[in-house]
Order: sequence, then C-alpha cells, then structure tokens
Amino acid sequence: MTIATAIIQKTPIFGRMFPVDKSTGLEEINAWPALMIMASFIWLAVAGLLGFVMPATQIFDLNTDHYYTGLTLHGAALAFPFSFQLMVGVGLHRSGGCVGKAITGWLPAMTFITMNLGAALLTVAVLMGLKVSLIVMYPLPLVGAQMGVWSMNSVIVGFTGIYLVLACMILLYPMLVLKMMFFGKKRPELVLSARTLNDPGMLGMILAALVLLVAGTPLVIVGTTVVGALYGIIPMSMASWATEPVVFQYAFFIFAHNLMEAMAIMVTSALYATLPLYLADGTRKLFSDKLANLALWILLVTSVTSFLHHFITLYPNQPSMLSYWGNIMSWGTGIGAALSIFTIFATIWQHGLRPEPGIMAALIGWVLYILDGASAMVTSNIAWAYQLHGTMWQSGHTMTVIVAMSMMWMGVLYHHYPVMTGRKLDPVLGTWFVRLFTIGGIGAALSMLAAGSAGMPRRFAAWNQEGWMFYGDLIVFFGLILGASFALFVYNMMKSREISAPMGEMATA
Amino acid sequence: MLDMLFTGWGAFWMTLFMLVPFAAMFFYVVYRKSVTDSGPSATPRATLSRLEGIWLTVAFVIFVGVNLASLKFMPLIKAAHAATSNQPLHEVDVSATSWAFDISNRQIEAGSTVRFSGRSKDTMHGFAVYHPDGRMLFTMMLMPGLKNPTTLIHTFNEPGKYKVRCLEYCGIAHHAMMDELTIVKNN
Repeated sequence: MTIATAIIQKTPIFGRMFPVDKSTGLEEINAWPALMIMASFIWLAVAGLLGFVMPATQIFDLNTDHYYTGLTLHGAALAFPFSFQLMVGVGLHRSGGCVGKAITGWLPAMTFITMNLGAALLTVAVLMGLKVSLIVMYPLPLVGAQMGVWSMNSVIVGFTGIYLVLACMILLYPMLVLKMMFFGKKRPELVLSARTLNDPGMLGMILAALVLLVAGTPLVIVGTTVVGALYGIIPMSMASWATEPVVFQYAFFIFAHNLMEAMAIMVTSALYATLPLYLADGTRKLFSDKLANLALWILLVTSVTSFLHHFITLYPNQPSMLSYWGNIMSWGTGIGAALSIFTIFATIWQHGLRPEPGIMAALIGWVLYILDGASAMVTSNIAWAYQLHGTMWQSGHTMTVIVAMSMMWMGVLYHHYPVMTGRKLDPVLGTWFVRLFTIGGIGAALSMLAAGSAGMPRRFAAWNQEGWMFYGDLIVFFGLILGASFALFVYNMMKSREISAPMGEMATA
Repeated sequence: MLDMLFTGWGAFWMTLFMLVPFAAMFFYVVYRKSVTDSGPSATPRATLSRLEGIWLTVAFVIFVGVNLASLKFMPLIKAAHAATSNQPLHEVDVSATSWAFDISNRQIEAGSTVRFSGRSKDTMHGFAVYHPDGRMLFTMMLMPGLKNPTTLIHTFNEPGKYKVRCLEYCGIAHHAMMDELTIVKNN
C-alpha cells in the first residue's frame, strides 16, 4: 500500500470518496491522483463556505474586514488547491493510463505537499490579517505592513505559501508531466488506453505543461528574489529590481494569464479524448484529429502573449501597440475556440451521443467555458476594457473559467472514477448534478457579467450603492445552486457502490 | 451607434450575441443526436466541410469587424485627435494614496475635453469615473513607481455630480476610496 493510499484511508469523511482499488494492480497510477483529487474537494468545501462569507457581510451589514478575508481565501482556495489540484490529479491519471507509467516517487509527493502546504500557509497568513486578494495586488502586501494594517510576519508566511504553490504549478507539475511523457520505462500492465503525442487527447497535456514552465519561469525568478530578500538570504538592495511593482505585475500576469490558458488547453484535450468514448455508434473518433490539433495550436500561439490585455488601462505606460496586440491575440483565441466548437458539434452530429452524466458534465462545463471565452474576448477589447476593467465582469470571468474547467475535469473524473476506486456512481444523482450545475453555473456567470456591465466594482465591500445589491442577490442565488450541485457530486462519490461486473469499458481512459 | 455598442451594457449584449446561437446549437445537436436520433448521421462529409468553411468565415468576420470598429476608441487615437484639433485641453492631475484621491481640479465645465493624468503614491489604485446615472464612463490603472502618469482623454457633455471610485483592490478600506467631480454648465 502506498503512502497516498494510507493517507486517503485515514482521512475522515472525504476519504470515503476514494477507496483506492488495489485489486486491479493499478494502484501505482491511482493512488497519488486520488489523494490529490480528494484534497482538492476538501479545499472546494473551504472555498464554498468562504464564498458565502462575502455576500453575508453585505446582506447582514457585518464588518467589511470579513469580506476581504473571505475574498482572499475564497479566490485562492478555488483557483489553486481546488481547481488546479483537481486538474493535476485527473490529468495525471489520464497520462499514466495513456503512456503506461507509474505515478510514484518523490515528484508526485512533492507536487502534493507543496500545493497543500503552500495553500495552508497562505490560509494561516490571511487569518493573521493579510488580505491581498487572489492576485496578491503587489505591492499591497508590503504597503499594508508599512501602514500597520497587517504584520510583516503575515507577509512572510503568505509569500512562503504562495511561493510553494507556484513551485508546484510552475516547476514540479510540468516536470512530472514531461518525465512521464519522455522518460522512464513503459509498463504494459499500466496502459489503459495507449495514446501518442499526435493524438489531440494527449497533445494538450504536453502543450499545457510547457506553457506553465515557460510562462512561469520569470515569476519564479522574481518570486525567489523577493522571498530570498524577505528571509534575509539576499540583501534587500540586490532584490530591489524584483520589488518594483511593474516588474512583479508583468511577471505575475505573464504566468497567471497563461495558467488559465494552459488549464483550458489541457481540459479541451481531455474532452477530445473523452467524447469519442461516448459516441452512440462506437466509432471512438473525432470528426477530424487535424482540426482538433489545429485548434489547440492556435489556442497556444494566441494565448501566450494575450496577457497584455491585463494592462490596457495603464496607457501610455503600456503602449497602445502592445495593448492592441493583447486585444488581437485574445480574439485570436476565439478562432481556436471556433475550430474546437465545430469539431465537437460535428463529432456528435456524425456519430450520436450516449448522454451519460460524466460526458454531459464535461460538455456543459465546455459550454460554460465558451461563454467565459466570449466574455474574456469582449473585455480584452480596448474599448470595452475601459468600461469593464476592475468591475464584477472580471470577477465573473475569473470565477466562470475556474468553475467551467473544474466542471469539465469533474466530468472526466466521472469517467475515471470506476478505474480508480472499483466503484460506480449513481447516474440519477449524476444527472441532477449536471442539471443543477447548468442552472447555477450559467446563472452565476451571467449575473456577474451583468453586474460588471452596470459598473459594480469587484473586490468591493459596499454592494449597497447604486442598486448593486440586486446583482449581489442574484449571484448568491445562483451560487447556492452551484454549491448544491458540487455537494451532490461529492455525496455521489461518498455513496458509490462496488462494481460487481467486470471492468470492461470502464477500464479505458 | 458604435458609442452605444462600446459601453458596459454593449459588452453584455455582444457576449450574448456570441453565446446564444452557440448555446442553442449545442442543445439542439446534443438533444437531436442523443434523444431523437442517436444513430450515425447521413450528412455527407462534404456538407460538413462546407459548413466548417461558413462557420469559420462568420467567426472571422466578427473578429475583424469588432476589432476594426473599436480602433477609434484607442487612447492613442483619442490623444492624436485631441492634438490635431484646436480644442483646448484641460489638464487634471490625480494622485492616489490609500485611501483617498488628490485631484487638482474637481470642477469642470461641460463640453470640456479633459486629460486626466494619474499616479499612485503607494500601491495599485484605480481611477474610475461614473456618470450621474450610475454607469461607468472609464477607468484607469494607477501603478506606483512609474516614471510617467497613466493618462486618458475624455469629454464631459452633461452637467452633474460624477462619482470617482478606486477599482483596483487596495486594502481594507478600498470600498471607501471615493471622490467626486462636478461638471458645471458651460457659460
């Protein structure tokens, strides 16, 4: 029994979701992914509870400090230890089964430890008073400490946590994927569904890992310098270049933007791999592999430099030319999405669909992802950026992309779950999960976009101005439905039953 | 027309314009091919390829159309237009510190073209101006440590009280960082 399996077995409540199946000899590709996925759902529960702290402070007129505590922890927990860790867990399980490599050793262990320890440290820092939002808002952490709003110790703890999370996302996880793809011995008994890099269902995995590594390296350099200076390892004078707000902000957004793009590329690839398994006529092929791969390449090429749209309203400090470049590249991702849309529609149209909860969850997540893509393109346009930047539109975009990708991964997880646990999920609960998610996800997204259109600021603890509370109430309403859908998904896993029949179709990833 | 499209609500309708046909097509295709007729389709491959061409053409036309139309809203274009016209440009300097604005001139005549030049003295701040009816007119990002100020040119046509808000999260009193501009009738 691996240490990952042991941790799962000893975890109360959530451990019941993933009784790792040892009977099939697949524990080496099941255990660490299962532990990561289980941990991601613990963080989802934390994020969900904190998510309701924000509207609660507004509805019941509580201390606004609680709003900003909830804001920072909810965003951070949802984006990194939930969504990213869920992606890592399911993505690694896919990769392991596709290339026949064990997910064991120090790399998956360190990936798990750095993500969860980092997120826990950031949580401690926020509870110590650090309220810097999901994106740190540098140099706010240092300014807040100078003003005495929070302590320097909380900044050091918080930065250490963020640094560990970044080390997981930028270095350890991409290294793990690259190692599995290009190194090590293939073990035939671990191959569940052999795939090559030419396969659209595999290409996205490698592209995403490379994007994270390349786009994240500048932030690792800047972050290492800042953390080194905070710990007194590097003299502050030598770190001054990295503490310049413009340096930190650009390094941060080159990564943060591409993190979302990399996750989108990876999950689109996972959808390309999963959809053919649910075609009614058993064809198991996409409409066109070439078209599917072209979509991924276009998404990759256009997304890398589109991060410039984050600084459109900084003119002329960011020249118009660069802003327009960010604008055009952002809309270029729409061309990749258009190809992707056609591939998926044409595949379903040609071969029919078995609408089981897993694939429907992945497809509804994809619909929400396309909605989010449209909202992202619109706000990346220079004219609209001046009307929307800093409003709830942006929060809606961020929330939607995270929720949409999580939903797609949950759909893919639905497919992998029997292989990991030897158990099957209740299709009725699965169907209700998809229905509730469809209403909650799309409703919350549109409510937040509408709030942004009405000028409601994001990260703003005064919803009672200008009639914005109406949008706040709508967001809470749909947020509750969304939360109920996630709770149903978790409940379904806890109530899963053993599969008595042979694995058959379920053992293909 | 374009002025109405490139507003906050214009953005919402544009998003729906792209989303609704897509969502309708999604639900139609999934329902038709999973409930009504889940068998293999008789649609020839050539027809699907033709549809692919049409679909990509539509996507490309929207791409080009929207982005060409938005060119006139680029700050560079507005600055060039202001420089070549003989209209006087009123300079307003803005300095942001947690959690207040220092604005060089809070009273502006209607019809005036104003160049706002903003700086931050401590952390990231925003400078967003709201019309008296509640909609946001524009926002600027103020980043500390930059040599040049962030600038934007805007013409105020209607008199009234215009709220100013910080739209970049700047700490525990971010929501209280507000100010006001008064646009008075042109004499």
